[in-house]
Amino acid sequence: MESSEEAAVEKCRVHLRPGTLRDAARATLHLLPCEVLVNRPAPVDRFFTPAIRQGPDGLEVSFRGRKLRGEEVVVPPGLVGYVMAMEEQGEVSMEKDFSEGDEREEQERAEPREALERDFDQFIGAIASFSRFTLWGLETIPGPDAKVRGALTWPSLAAAIHAQVPED
Amino acid sequence: MDRGGPAGARRHVLLLPEYLKDASKKMKSGLMFVKLVNPCSGEGTIYLFDLCLQQLFEIKVFKEKHHSWFIDQSVQSGGLLHFATPMDPLFLLLHYLRKADKEGKFQPLDQVVLDDTFPNCILLLRLPDLEKLLQHVTEEKEVDKKKYYKYSKEKTIKWLGKKVQQTVSALKTNNVNVSARVQATAFFSGDPFSSDKEEDYVCYAHGLISDYIPKELSDDLAKYLKLPEPSVPLPSPPSKKVKVSDEPIEAKEDYTKFNRKDLKTEKKNSKMTAAQKALAKVDKSGMKSIDSFFATKNKKKIEKI
Repeated sequence: MESSEEAAVEKCRVHLRPGTLRDAARATLHLLPCEVLVNRPAPVDRFFTPAIRQGPDGLEVSFRGRKLRGEEVVVPPGLVGYVMAMEEQGEVSMEKDFSEGDEREEQERAEPREALERDFDQFIGAIASFSRFTLWGLETIPGPDAKVRGALTWPSLAAAIHAQVPED
Repeated sequence: MDRGGPAGARRHVLLLPEYLKDASKKMKSGLMFVKLVNPCSGEGTIYLFDLCLQQLFEIKVFKEKHHSWFIDQSVQSGGLLHFATPMDPLFLLLHYLRKADKEGKFQPLDQVVLDDTFPNCILLLRLPDLEKLLQHVTEEKEVDKKKYYKYSKEKTIKWLGKKVQQTVSALKTNNVNVSARVQATAFFSGDPFSSDKEEDYVCYAHGLISDYIPKELSDDLAKYLKLPEPSVPLPSPPSKKVKVSDEPIEAKEDYTKFNRKDLKTEKKNSKMTAAQKALAKVDKSGMKSIDSFFATKNKKKIEKI
């Protein structure tokens, strides 16, 4: 039944493993101005990275024979970028259990395991972090008008919208 | 760690407040993505809960056509960028208070925040200082040390009015352009904000807040703020037509070309013109929705994380 399946999704919680936020290694990210329709490993360091040059106005590279121009975009202050991945259902992360072993026990004593995690819940973890990425445009540098730059101003505005209002 | 991952594995690129990383030292669990009701649309939307910090975050997705990520040695289609920003839980509580108000009586909060479709709404009851928050939008009674609440439209509108005011301040400090007219004149005066009117800011802020409240409440708020009636699809007055027509904008484009000394390619200039045209169109009423920060209508497209 489709309806019951959907209901399960509504009830589901996706737990983010807090430890992974601390341990995440730095990753190099590029935002390309084209759609590559797959998600899979790619030899970026073999073809893309060595071809990046510093041009007169920004970075230059080519991808599939088209010229791209790019610039560094820094994550706004107070924010950290993460790359996250869902854990396979039923996956037991032995490595984590060992490395966080004593810390975990300690915390469990201080803060008894709450009934937050249920059987049908899922888990997600950070696999990498970043504080900047390279934004690429086709032929031209995306520049200050790039929509992603507009989106990056959102957190500062959201802070004001959601700040508590003073009492009378 | 297998950074590339197996073929087809989805990677989510997410910006989180830095303090979540520090807070994570003290916690083992309690950070989770859950689907809750969107107080504006009534649809399901993903939020992030931090039960250690006792804070609610909303998730917005930047999604623009034709983008992909290279993440280390892998490719990720879509080019989505997720943002987690703190959210005032009162917007969500308001959804339930208004629903319960149909019964027209004082009720304890745990009988108000109930939802068969989105049962995770009970997590809202774990947030701190709820009593203090609720004072902004409810009348309350205390019987046998138990609090009972009833939605108050008057208080809510007043509270929303304050929200608009503090958003206006933020728009000013963040130098957000709030009207198309200003966008255009900026090219001549050199001072982009000289002619921004207070009303433009209020309209714009009202638009942003309206993304967190139902339409009905948004209309009441507009009346309270004495905003002009929205000039919807009706034929626009001649003065406005001139503003969005191609000619004056292109003239301005030429002006900037000579004004700025760096010579830009034809392509870039034509691109900017298109962007300006789009801005002129969108900003006509001065009101702006949050979606404008994320380029596309993404409310319905928010990916399941």
